[in-house]
Amino acid sequence: MNIITNDTALCEEAIAALREVIDPEIGLNIVDLGLIYQLDFDAPNSNIYVFMTLTTQFCPMGASIVNGVKEALQTAFPGYEAAVALTFDPPWRPQRISAEGQKFLNR
Amino acid sequence: MFTANAHTPAKTTSPSAVTPFYGYAAISFLVAGVLLFAYSSSFNGHYFQPKILAITHIMALGWGVMIILGASHQLVPVLIESSLFSIALARLSFFLAATGIPLLAYGFFIFSMGWEAQWGGILINSAIIVYLVNLVLSIQKSKSNNVHALFVLTAACWLLLTTLIGLLLIYNFSYAFLSMDSLHYLPLHANIGIAGWFLLLVIGVGARLIPMFLISKYQRPGLLWYIYLLINGGLIGFVLNFLYLRQPGFYLAPATAVGLSLILMAYYCYQSYRMRLRKKVDEQMKISLLAVAMMILPVILLIVIIGAMQVSSSNNTLALLYGFVVFFGWLTAIILGMTFKTLPFIIWNKTHHLFAANEKTPSPKDLFSAKIFTAMGIAYLPGFVLFCAGIALANTALLRSGSALILLTAILYNWNVMKLIRYKPKRP
Repeated sequence: MNIITNDTALCEEAIAALREVIDPEIGLNIVDLGLIYQLDFDAPNSNIYVFMTLTTQFCPMGASIVNGVKEALQTAFPGYEAAVALTFDPPWRPQRISAEGQKFLNR
Repeated sequence: MFTANAHTPAKTTSPSAVTPFYGYAAISFLVAGVLLFAYSSSFNGHYFQPKILAITHIMALGWGVMIILGASHQLVPVLIESSLFSIALARLSFFLAATGIPLLAYGFFIFSMGWEAQWGGILINSAIIVYLVNLVLSIQKSKSNNVHALFVLTAACWLLLTTLIGLLLIYNFSYAFLSMDSLHYLPLHANIGIAGWFLLLVIGVGARLIPMFLISKYQRPGLLWYIYLLINGGLIGFVLNFLYLRQPGFYLAPATAVGLSLILMAYYCYQSYRMRLRKKVDEQMKISLLAVAMMILPVILLIVIIGAMQVSSSNNTLALLYGFVVFFGWLTAIILGMTFKTLPFIIWNKTHHLFAANEKTPSPKDLFSAKIFTAMGIAYLPGFVLFCAGIALANTALLRSGSALILLTAILYNWNVMKLIRYKPKRP
């Protein structure tokens, strides 16, 4: 689970908020699932940029997950605008699941 | 920071274009269950009789084809990584098939190959042509070409060939323009439909969904190419032998090719299962994996039938058993499992997608009853085994009790499907 960021402190807060967003099929949060690639903060203009992926390009839950990301970040950072861009380069691989996520799946 | 390769979330197929297929299939399964119970003693006789023909076509078309068409309108975008070409064509295809299937089934039920069966056949063929056009145009605009999409496209072509042969056989009853009677061509019609449409499609879609639902690290598209070639090669060999060579012994070659493809598919599923990250396998996946194992039963029966053909031309019990194992066996088992892996997501997407995925939102599996699902599985397996035993032993009591349990399975299945289709979220 390597997330690139330009602000480590804010990134920690954002990750905590994004752990509330669950992939409905797997039941695991999107951070431990390894869907988040990059989180950048533009504090002067109150913007958060999220660069993330989905488990498959035509994931039927894609729109819902993206909505969840925006909602979670805008709740955790009042006054901020969250913008989400999806990328499939590199594509998601099960190997991106964190150790915590792996523990959850082993239950 | 957002670069040129940034994507927006995929536009999924409208649930209103997909759920009617599921509802229709569920009702067809129930109707077939009622007819199977009411006419179970017919399975003591010859397979070519009105009630059995009607049940078979309700199962093959109303149950199998309709649910697969519905699910594929939702799944094709996932397979080809592009949206469906036209929702209107999906709706048209439903309307045509939904009108044609009862007409055709009624024609068989009263054994009249007149206007009911003829128009039923025409409408069903039109539905398949519309589906195929939609599929081709969807694949054409996709940038991704993969083996799964090829499975679906080839399967749809075999389906069209199956329904066209079916239509010719109906007209042949009235006009006798083929060199032999319609009964002679039944194995051609049935086996192209079973292996070309159902088997090819179930493998193509299953090979994508099974590793996805198990969250498996296993990936081997190369193996799927071998499976694709074996099934299609086997089918072409079967058709050529049936039409031109007419050597009963030669049927062993296509049956072996299809059998080999199933062994490869079983290996693919086993590796996906072994390399899964999600250790707990849910009930829906267990039934689906059982269905994969059940695929081998019809092939074994087919090989036995080919063997029996060398000794005697009559193999009625085996033929009946083969048809039952295909439609009420592996096909039904995979639909029972996969319905509750796909429909809950379709409904969830319709009702909850705007309200985000978080811990307070019910998950798709909460939208149907797990208890009813388990009861359905418990009713299904003994029902299937008892009915098979009833056919093999020509025992009316076994047929009756097996069909009662299958009817119960259909009732429980409908209960859960209707619960899903009618689901309304609770809003504060």
